[in-house]
Amino acid sequence: MKFFYWISQTKIWESVFRTKLPISTNLDRALVIFNSLSLHIHPIKVRERAIKFTYTFYLGMISFFLFLVLTITGILLMLYYQPAIPNAYENMKDLKYVVSNGNFLRNMHRWSAHLMVISVFLHMLRVFFKGAYRPPRQFNWIVGVVLLIITLLLSYTGYLLPYDQLSYWAVTVGANIARYVPLIGEELSFLLLGGNNIGEYTLVRFYVLHCVILPAFMVMLIAFHFWRIRKDGGLL
Amino acid sequence: MNDDKINENNSEENVPKICRRKFLNTMGNTATGIVLLGGLGVTLDFLKPNVILEIPKEFKVGPIDSIQPNSVIYEPEQKAFVVRDEQGSFYALSAVCTHLGCTTKWNASGIGGNPKAIISCPCHGSLFNKKGELIQGPAQRGLDKFRLRLEDNQLVVNTSEIVSDEEMILKT
Ligand code: HEM
Ligand code: FES
Repeated sequence: MKFFYWISQTKIWESVFRTKLPISTNLDRALVIFNSLSLHIHPIKVRERAIKFTYTFYLGMISFFLFLVLTITGILLMLYYQPAIPNAYENMKDLKYVVSNGNFLRNMHRWSAHLMVISVFLHMLRVFFKGAYRPPRQFNWIVGVVLLIITLLLSYTGYLLPYDQLSYWAVTVGANIARYVPLIGEELSFLLLGGNNIGEYTLVRFYVLHCVILPAFMVMLIAFHFWRIRKDGGLL
Repeated sequence: MNDDKINENNSEENVPKICRRKFLNTMGNTATGIVLLGGLGVTLDFLKPNVILEIPKEFKVGPIDSIQPNSVIYEPEQKAFVVRDEQGSFYALSAVCTHLGCTTKWNASGIGGNPKAIISCPCHGSLFNKKGELIQGPAQRGLDKFRLRLEDNQLVVNTSEIVSDEEMILKT
């Protein structure tokens, strides 16, 4: 305790955390939130009911946490994965049987992906049943819909990467569904696959979408989503 | 006093039809627009590969004397069934399911207790008879039929030419 107190009084601590410790007044409490990048997702003053578990079931934060897990495990998987034929499938097998703890990592990525789809969906249900989509929050609801779509697209693009039978046919079916889009369907499927059938180009395209483009959009939109929560007056 | 001058210029009566600011704004916006549109076009073009490695549309099967009546040859590369029926005529079917593109399988004695259901799709269970006609969905139509011709005692299948029921049979 004494040690912690000493640290909290050093110049370095003060330069990082602007709030003077120990906290004594309500103003200090507000400043802790106000001065912190991660905490200021909350407004300076929060209604007590809004931070109760049963109010949000923390579903948004659980989704965000799963996204962090997916990012970390995904980046680690990238170190052993090459988006090429036949390397992709072999790399995936190596991850399972050769790389230390590779199977654990892969399963973590996969389970988190499934859980993220579920938690994002449940989060949406909670917002719906609380009526939190109504003005002034209507635009954040739209942002949320896009976030759900990106989550699903990440699952779809990630599914091709192991390049096994399941991947191949799931993506064939998906690309053929895209073909039914009026007018631009054929073009869309050709662009997505980089050809008429799944091949080398498809694998690289899906890899870049999965590991760079979609996560980048995801990060930007999540940040915007959080910022809007505050600007719309905190949780309903 | 500068502010006033700007305001004066902006009031309806005093603004010339085209002033320097308007001219420069229009030029600037047009140039930016052209560059953005051009960039978009060039990028879309870039995303469409010019060379894709695909197998040739035509392939040969035979010699035909070595193909027994009432038999089928499956070409996995081309995803095609080449069939010789009881009468000795030939026809060729695409093995690509007309639902959402999985590859179908030939089951000589039918599947699911239906002796007519010779061709089945593993993805969502569509069934076709040996002529490729639809028995059960979710597919909405029968399998595509390819044009067949005879060349030096060999069959030539052209997977880019889809033909009708009547045209599909090659008598020998
Ligand atoms: C920045 C974030 C992410 C990165 C860098 C990343 C990276 C990767 C990599 C390299 C693979 C291939 C390895 C393998 O197949 O085991 C993969 C697979 C996969 N990813 Fe991601 N990923 C990210 C986020 C997500 C998200 C948000 C989802 C879904 C909500 C997702 C769903 C999947 C799925 C379903 C697979 C197939 C997993 C498997 O078959 O084991 N990923 N990811
Ligand atoms: S792709 Fe054949 S039944 Fe759906």
